[in-house]
Amino acid sequence: MWRRGVLLIKFSELKDILRRSFVVILFIVSFLFILLSKVDGVVVETAHDLVMDATGPIMQVVEFPSRIIHRVYTYFYDIGRIYADNRELREENKQMLILQNKVRTLEVENQLLSRLLNYTPPAEATFISAKIIAESGDNFTHMLLVYIGDEPVKKGQIVLGNESVIGRVDKVSGHYAKVILVTDINSKIPVVVERTRARGILTGNNTATPTLLFTRATADIQEGDVVVTSGVGGMFPAGLPIGFVSSISGRQINVETMADISRVEYVRIVDYGLSNEEEIRKDFFESENNAR
Amino acid sequence: MRDSWHEKIRFFLLHRIPLATTLMLMFIFFMPINSLELNYFRPTVGAICVYYWTLKRGYMFGYVSAFWVGLLMDVYSSSPLGLNILFMMLLVMVTNWLTRYFQSASFNVCWALFAAVGLGQILLKWVILTAYFGRLLSLSEVMINYFSTLMFYPLIVCFNVWVQNHLLPQERINE
Repeated sequence: MWRRGVLLIKFSELKDILRRSFVVILFIVSFLFILLSKVDGVVVETAHDLVMDATGPIMQVVEFPSRIIHRVYTYFYDIGRIYADNRELREENKQMLILQNKVRTLEVENQLLSRLLNYTPPAEATFISAKIIAESGDNFTHMLLVYIGDEPVKKGQIVLGNESVIGRVDKVSGHYAKVILVTDINSKIPVVVERTRARGILTGNNTATPTLLFTRATADIQEGDVVVTSGVGGMFPAGLPIGFVSSISGRQINVETMADISRVEYVRIVDYGLSNEEEIRKDFFESENNAR
Repeated sequence: MRDSWHEKIRFFLLHRIPLATTLMLMFIFFMPINSLELNYFRPTVGAICVYYWTLKRGYMFGYVSAFWVGLLMDVYSSSPLGLNILFMMLLVMVTNWLTRYFQSASFNVCWALFAAVGLGQILLKWVILTAYFGRLLSLSEVMINYFSTLMFYPLIVCFNVWVQNHLLPQERINE
């Protein structure tokens, strides 16, 4: 009995030591995760994928009522605006008809010139539509979680909301993809001001208006100027609209995104057939870091 | 006398109720609200629950539960994986220390303590993320998030008290 008592005390002590060690191990694991996140480790990716795969279906169920509420709200909001919208659309339609005729003429002219030059056009972009099922869990980041099903989506692909860029695919795990918005602190997109072709890097700052950095001091940029992708670095094709310059104060240029993220329910993930997008993306960030 | 296997399972499941309800609340608050502006007011429900359960039922909500809560927060954000895990476990550590003095404190005292702990934590997180990204993060949005979390505290606590009174055994409380 005495021996057994000693053994029990030792077991309880061992249990206590193991419990304390386990807490220390959990702290070490979290530190390791942070360090590995910096180098984009396989362990981190796997852990991330496992959690996303396990929680994605739950999130899909949970977001359903929110979608219904949003649709009802949008329905009544749209009814309130229907007359004003109708008037605006009639005006726009007149302008569009004039433009349509011009485009037809230009298209024919373009075809003739292309044939003359023996020009091979680039492959058409393909896209998939994906439903937003969750948004960022904190204020330190701006991201979306979208359901992609079995579609072959790759990291680095462009995400469009309506007709303009809202972000890029950051992680793909199973049926879900994590999209980093252009407003996120991690987002850096080479852009050009459409009117003056002034180049810069559109950098997210976790606010609704990302900042245009690395523009020349003498660059002619005004409020209202449209900002489009420059295609530099090969990550994004050139000419995709992102937003317009909303404010300029000294060297600080802020850009408001064209897509109204508050009304985006579905996004389009576009594959422009850019070869090795992932490598290009890494090269771009490496060169940018080296430049710094 | 040894417990039978179904009693052990019941015991195990009862002890997972705080974690399960916390995760459920987190999923609800991850729902898309289709507004970038309103997104700033999304409270950090995970932190409220970790604080509450550690303070009131520490033996049911330890470091492992905090680990899972942090992991879910990390996956549903683009901050480095492990950061929220670390912060949730630190929250458990600090709250465990507070439990010695404030376990049966009034609601207002608990709220004030959460405000103090939360402020310290969010500022530390801001400093770490600023260093991690190498850029100064906007503090105003972070503070909006902090205050909205404080505002949501009573609501989340009401739900947790209901869970504690109706789903968990013994230790009934009135707040």
